[in-house]
Amino acid sequence: MLARYMRKVYTSLATHIYDIPSRMMALMLLSMFTLLPFIRFEVTLISTLIEANFIAIFAASWDLLFRAGQVSLGHALFYGMGGYTTAILFKYLGWPIWITIPISMLVNAALALIIGIPCLRLKGPYLALVTMAFPLVTLGLIKGPFSSVTGGEIGIYGLPSLFPRELIKSPLDRVMAEYYLTLTLMMFCSIILYKIAYSKTGMVFVSILDDELASKACGINVTKYKLMAFAISGFFASLAGCIHAHRINVVNPPMFGVNISLIPLIAAVLGGLGTIYGPFVGTYIYYILDRYILTILIPMHKWTFYNVEWGQVKPIIFTLIVIVFIIKWPRGIGRGIVEKLEDLEKPREIEEIEKEKSKKHEKS
Amino acid sequence: MHLLEVENLTKRFGGLIAVNNVSLHVDEGELVGIIGPNGAGKTTLFNLITGYLRPDSGKVKLRGEDITGLSPDKIANKGLTRTFQIVRPFRHLPTIANVLVALQSHRGKRRIEWIKTPERKAMEMLEDVGLSDMALEPAENLSHGDLKRLEIARAMALEPEIVLLDEPFGGLNPVETEYMVKSLQRIHLDGHTLVIVEHKLHALMKLVKRVLVMYNGEIIAEGAPEEIAKNKKVIEVYLGKVI
Repeated sequence: MLARYMRKVYTSLATHIYDIPSRMMALMLLSMFTLLPFIRFEVTLISTLIEANFIAIFAASWDLLFRAGQVSLGHALFYGMGGYTTAILFKYLGWPIWITIPISMLVNAALALIIGIPCLRLKGPYLALVTMAFPLVTLGLIKGPFSSVTGGEIGIYGLPSLFPRELIKSPLDRVMAEYYLTLTLMMFCSIILYKIAYSKTGMVFVSILDDELASKACGINVTKYKLMAFAISGFFASLAGCIHAHRINVVNPPMFGVNISLIPLIAAVLGGLGTIYGPFVGTYIYYILDRYILTILIPMHKWTFYNVEWGQVKPIIFTLIVIVFIIKWPRGIGRGIVEKLEDLEKPREIEEIEKEKSKKHEKS
Repeated sequence: MHLLEVENLTKRFGGLIAVNNVSLHVDEGELVGIIGPNGAGKTTLFNLITGYLRPDSGKVKLRGEDITGLSPDKIANKGLTRTFQIVRPFRHLPTIANVLVALQSHRGKRRIEWIKTPERKAMEMLEDVGLSDMALEPAENLSHGDLKRLEIARAMALEPEIVLLDEPFGGLNPVETEYMVKSLQRIHLDGHTLVIVEHKLHALMKLVKRVLVMYNGEIIAEGAPEEIAKNKKVIEVYLGKVI
């Protein structure tokens, strides 16, 4: 029984992954991330990666919406609302997290549908500006009229952790558990989002991105597909917000901040716009570079230069590195790597075709 | 009952009357050409029929059913598709996926025979216009002539009752034009109804049985190609008055 199962796994590995360099690369990177805590256990690095894991889902959900031609500059709305929904459900109903998180995700999918309706008629910069307003309006509501429910500026405290203290006693083990949980979630969501983006539905999304009028001429109900993209995007984006809320046990207004809305944009541009795998690559690069190397690793050595502190130089250095990346890989690092790997693959295919041709010649 | 019936269609853009009280009808299996100088309102007429613009007054009927003011995708699903004057491919998708998008619509899905996969059907559509070699190539790598043919494959994928072709020969060289004439003839022989707007009169006149001439938003003449070529009014419109 087990042997048969193992053989099945082996054949699927051999046919679906081993033969395709880009998938092999992804598998290698994943196994590297899986083994990383054993190779080099450093709490700061691991917690940066935990954050990168769920922000990657957030960025990829933004990218799916981009694939449908909808550029959102207010994706923090789903991030914040995801966190707030699970927090409010916990605070007033006392439900456990494995109920509140799925409910929060569904609520946010519905919210995304409602947000999507006024966005249907807007395009390009106008759409971006309108979506930018949504988190700001929500922020105003949370701080103002609904502050008795949402805790106003302070937010909601004392949310349950992802892994309760009673279950895992050592804090380091808890970090490890969180790391593996977020890593599995990232894997699952990346596969689901990738499958959606490269399915028939995803194809229709791209047709809307390319030319809305032409897809209407093809009989595509553009409204339906746009709203679908919004709902899927809101669904996955809120998951990131939920995990963030339960990881630091707090939800507060900064979750709606403009900087949160811009993270997916940076990640997607760095990794490759509209590719789904791009934002994953981009998020890890962004987090490891900005949040780990530039924030933690270098300042440890007490770097000063003519009384200029590292904190003042850091944004400049980061921006310069990003500019270099964008000049080197204008279509995204992830896309660049995958295209290189596909080029490696092509000669082999051509060889096979030529072999077949020569065989046919011999026969004739 | 006519397949497509347009009754007193009028569209104004501010003070300009782009289409003025146009009535026409197309029967099943017909191949109709619409000609006219630049700015005559031919493309506007197409946009009105296919739902991209809302007419100020008048009616469009498909098989007696009123389709005036419906959205373009609903009209396409009812069996009235169109191609565009300026090609509008889905540039980021492979050529075959351009056709697959059309097969993903409500009508397209139902028109796939149970024995075929959508991919098989899309491939057949591409073979019909001679693009099967480019099936996996991204559409942005295709030449202009290929894109024109791709537009037709995409419109035909819905198995429409009537297709409106907006300048199918626009920007094609003589060889490509010849090929396009042949493919359109074949499509017509398969029993499809076509309406063609065109500037290249030479190619068009070989193809169609009935020609409508538009000028300043009105239909000024109608008849067989030979009659139209001799029509004084038409010559006046194209070449100017003899003094």
